[in-house]
Amino acid sequence: MKWLDQIWVQNLCLLAGYGLLARLVVWGLRSERWQTAWKHLRRDKLGLVSLCVIGLYLVVGTLESIVLPSASGSVTLLQRLTAGIPQEKSYSAPLATTALSVADPKPLLGRHVLGTDALGRDTLVQTLRATRSALWIGGLTSLIYIPLGVLLGLMAGYYRRWVDDAVQYVYSTVAAVPEILMLVAILMVLGKGLGSMAIALGITGWVGMARLIRGETLRQVERPYIAAAKALGQSDWRILTRHLLPNVMHLVLIKFVLGFSGLVLAEAVLSYLGVGAPVGTASWGTMIDASRSELSREPLVWWNLTASSCALFLMVLALNLFGDSLQRAFDPKRGA
Amino acid sequence: MPPRTSSRCLALIAAAFLRPYPCVARVCAGVLLACSLMLAGCSNNPHPEPLQKTGEDGTPWKVRYGALPEDPRSLDPQVSYDAISRRILEPVQECLLEYQPFKTDPYELTPCLLLKLPERVVKPSGGVSYRCELKAGILFHDDPCFPEGRGREVVATDVQYAFQRITDPKVECPALSNLQDYVEGMAEAFEAARKTESFDYSKPFSGLEVTGRYTFEIHLKAAYPQLLYWLAMHFTSPVAREAVEFYDGKVHEGTTRDLFRFHPVGTGPFQIADWKRNTRIRLKRNPVYRTTTFPQDGWGAEQEALLRPLAGKALPLVDEVNMTVFRETIPVFLLFRQGYLDGMGVGKDAFSSLVTPSRDLSGKYKERGVTLHRDTEPSTFFMSVNMEDPVLGPNQKLRQALSAAFNAQANLDIFFNSVPIVAEQLLPPGIAGYQKEFKNPYGYNLEKAKALLAEAGYPNGRDATGKVLEISLDTTGGSANERMMAEFNQQQFEQLGIKVKVVENPFARLLEKLDNGGYQLATGSGWGADYPDPENFYFLYYSKNFPPAGKNHSRYKNPEFDRLFEKMATMENCAERDAIGLKMNAILAEDVPNILNMHRSTFGLTQPWAPRIQSNPMLEGGLKYAVLDHALRENLRAQWNKKPVWPIGVVLCGLVAVGLFTFNLRRKH
Repeated sequence: MKWLDQIWVQNLCLLAGYGLLARLVVWGLRSERWQTAWKHLRRDKLGLVSLCVIGLYLVVGTLESIVLPSASGSVTLLQRLTAGIPQEKSYSAPLATTALSVADPKPLLGRHVLGTDALGRDTLVQTLRATRSALWIGGLTSLIYIPLGVLLGLMAGYYRRWVDDAVQYVYSTVAAVPEILMLVAILMVLGKGLGSMAIALGITGWVGMARLIRGETLRQVERPYIAAAKALGQSDWRILTRHLLPNVMHLVLIKFVLGFSGLVLAEAVLSYLGVGAPVGTASWGTMIDASRSELSREPLVWWNLTASSCALFLMVLALNLFGDSLQRAFDPKRGA
Repeated sequence: MPPRTSSRCLALIAAAFLRPYPCVARVCAGVLLACSLMLAGCSNNPHPEPLQKTGEDGTPWKVRYGALPEDPRSLDPQVSYDAISRRILEPVQECLLEYQPFKTDPYELTPCLLLKLPERVVKPSGGVSYRCELKAGILFHDDPCFPEGRGREVVATDVQYAFQRITDPKVECPALSNLQDYVEGMAEAFEAARKTESFDYSKPFSGLEVTGRYTFEIHLKAAYPQLLYWLAMHFTSPVAREAVEFYDGKVHEGTTRDLFRFHPVGTGPFQIADWKRNTRIRLKRNPVYRTTTFPQDGWGAEQEALLRPLAGKALPLVDEVNMTVFRETIPVFLLFRQGYLDGMGVGKDAFSSLVTPSRDLSGKYKERGVTLHRDTEPSTFFMSVNMEDPVLGPNQKLRQALSAAFNAQANLDIFFNSVPIVAEQLLPPGIAGYQKEFKNPYGYNLEKAKALLAEAGYPNGRDATGKVLEISLDTTGGSANERMMAEFNQQQFEQLGIKVKVVENPFARLLEKLDNGGYQLATGSGWGADYPDPENFYFLYYSKNFPPAGKNHSRYKNPEFDRLFEKMATMENCAERDAIGLKMNAILAEDVPNILNMHRSTFGLTQPWAPRIQSNPMLEGGLKYAVLDHALRENLRAQWNKKPVWPIGVVLCGLVAVGLFTFNLRRKH
C-alpha cells in the first residue's frame, strides 16, 4: 500500500469525500420532503447551533487532513499553522511559565493555553489534531456501513422470501457476537490503523441500518405507487433506486448523524483499550488512556484528560442534538 | 461496642427485618443489618491470620509481608529463571554457594551447602576439576514424598541428579547452553537423550563424579572460572529424586499431586506453607535449618549498630513470610501507607508523592520513620540494531548518527523520574571491567548526529536521489506508557530529518522478531547479570551466539571482537583481562550494534519496623536475613488505621430521616 502514503492521494481522498457529501446533499434537497425539513430546521435554534459546532469540527479536521510536503516527508496544514508553538521537555500546567515538578524548574519556551503533555507537546494542538481521527473514523465507517446496510435492508424488504431470510440470518448472527469482542478480534487480524478500525466498525455497524431500512421498505412496498410502478413494468432495480431509496433516505440521514457520534465514541473506546489509533496519531481515546497514570500523579496532571474529554463530549453532544433536530424536522406528523 | 451488646442489637435488627413491618421499615432495617454486619467483621487488614500466634518458646510469631507483581511461573530449580520465581525459590531452595550479602564491590562467593569453596585442580589432560564437599547433616524439608514424611539428608548423588536434570532435554534448563560447552560429557549425554527421547538417569555422568557420601568432583573440558557463579545459581542446587518423581501432577489414590514446579522440596530456611495460585504464597520457617548463620563481617560502618548484634545468629530471623500478588501498583502503595506491607518499590504513580524533586523522601513519610533506598541493578537496557539489515548493517556512520540523536537522559527524565543512570557502555556498574570515566563517543549530541548522518550519505535525512530515509522501529504496544515511549523514540530520531515508522508488537511477537532478525531497530532489549562477570555481557555480541543458540539479537559479527572474547571469556579476573575488556568496549562503542539507554535503578521504601539489612543485587531479596520489630509494627499500625466514626452517623441519620418521613406519610393517610 505504498501509494496510499503519497501526499496527493491523501488530499484527493479528502476532496472526493467532500464531493460525495455535497453531491448527496444537493441530490437530497431536490426532494420535497427534504425542503420542508430544511424549513423546519431553519427555525430550530439548538439544531443550528449544533450544526455550527459540527461545522467547526469539520474545519479543524480538514485542516489536519490536508497534507503538505515538507523537509522531512510531510506535515499537515494544522501542524504547519501551529509550528510556532514550541515543544517543551515534559509536562507543564496551563499558562505556566515553568516546567512541572522537577528539581529546578526551568522556564518554558512559550505559554501553553492548555498546558503540555508528557512529551512536552501543546495539549490544545493535540486535542485539535485528534479531531481528524474522530472524523475520519466516522466518515470512513459511514462510507462502509451505510451502503451495505441500505442495500441489504432494501433488498430484504423488497424481495422478501429467501432474500429476507438470508439477510435476517446474517445480521442476527453478527448482532449475536458481543460487539467489543468482535471489534478487537477484527483489529487483531487487520492490525492497527484508522483504516482497519473503520473496516472493523463497518462490519459490525451495518446491522442497525439494515434493520431500520428493511422495516421502512416493508411499509413502503405496500403503498400504491410501488404497485403502479410495477404495473408499468419498471425493473426491480429501477423501483429500488428511483422509488424506494428516496423514500427511505431521510432515515439514512438521521441514522448517519446519530451513528456518527457512536463511531466517534467507539474510536475513543478502542484507542483507550490500546487497539485503536496507531502511534503518532493523535486521538482523544489515547489521550484519555494516557491520563490514567497522570491522575495518580502528584501534582495532578488534569489538563490532558479535561481537554480531550471536553472535545469528545462537545462533538458527541452536538451530533446527538443535531440528529434529534433532523428527526423532528423530518417528522411527517408536523404540518408544513 | 462490647460484643454481647452488639450481637443483641443485631438480633433486634434482624427481628425487625423478618416481622411483618411496613416495607420501608424493613428496607431500613435491612440496610442497617448489612452495615452492622460489615462493621462487626471489619478491620482493614487484608492479610489472613498468621500460621501461628506465637512461636514454640512463646515469643510473638514474626510475619513479614511483601508484594509480588505476578505469580511465580515455575519453582523447579533447574528451570526457574525469572526474578519473581527466584524471589520465592531463593528462601526455599539453597544453592551450593551463595553471595556474601554485604560484599558487593567486588562480589564475593561464600559456601552455602558446601563445606568450603571448591578446590581447583588442573588435570594433566588440560581439563580442570573442582573438588567439592557438602556439609554433613543437612536435611531436605519434611515432605510426603519421603518415607514417613521426614526429610532425608542431602548427599552428593543429589547434586549429580541436579546436573543430570540440567542435561535432560525434557527439563529445558536455561543453563544448559552455557554449561554443556565446558562440563565433560554433558553435550554428549544431551545429544544421546535427544535421539532416544528419554534421558537415562541410571547411566553414570562423567561431568560430575561422586567420590564419597558428601564429596564430588566436577570435571571441565577447559578452564571456566565462571563455574563458581553457576554453583551459586539454582540450576545446580541439589534436588531429591523422590520429590521430582512424586510430584508428577497425576492422580494417585484419588488425590491429584502438584507438579514439581509448583512444589519444590529444598533445604532452605523457609518452606512453602500454602500457595493460593495468583493470590498469595506463605512461607514458614524451617525448624531444623542449620546450614548458614548470619555473616560476621562485610558491612560498612554506618550499618555497624544495626548488624553487629545479629552477627553469627541462627537464620532465618522471622517465622513467616507472606507474599501477596498485586497486579496493580496502587493497592501496594495504599497498603504500605496503612502499614500492611513492610516494603515497596516506588513506582511511577506514587513517585511524586513519595520523593521530593531533590530525590529525597518527602517529609510526611520521613516523619513516619520510612527509609528510602536507591538500588542499581547490574543491568543494561538498549535498543538493538539489526546488523544484517541492508540499510543499517553496512553503514557504521548511520548507526553512530542514530545513537547520537537519542537523548537517553530526557528519556529517563520523562519516563523514569530520572532515577536510572544513562548507560555509557555495555557493562553496568559493579561488574569487573566497568570503566567509571568512560563516555559513549556517540552519546547524545544532535549537531554531531546531523554531521554523522551527512557523512553516512544522508544529508538532512535524504539519500542521493532526494528520498527521505525511512527506518522502522519495533516496539511493544498496548499500554499508554509504551505508546508514549514509542512516540518519544520516534521524535528523537526524526530530529535528524529522517522518517521513523513505529511498528507496535505484542511482547512475544517482538521477541520472535528479535530472534529471527526481522527488524531494523527494536526497543525493549536489555540484559541483567546472571553473575557478576563481564563475559556475561560481552557474550551478547559474540558471533557464535546468534539466536537460537544465544542472545546476539543484533547479529553482530566482528572477527576481532570474537577473538578477544574467546581469549577473555575463560580468564581469571586480572589486569590483562581488564585490558582486553577495554578493547572490546571500544570496538562496540565504535560499531554501535546497540543504542544504549540505561542501567536500571529503582527507589524502594522500607517501614521503620523492617529496616533493610542488605542491598546485594545478586540476591533475590535475601529473605533469610530479613528482620522485624513486631511490637513497633503493632503500635504504628494501630495509629495509622484509626477508623472514622462519622460515616456510621451519616447512615444512621439518613435512616432515621427516612423512617420519620414514612411515619408521617402513613399518619396522613
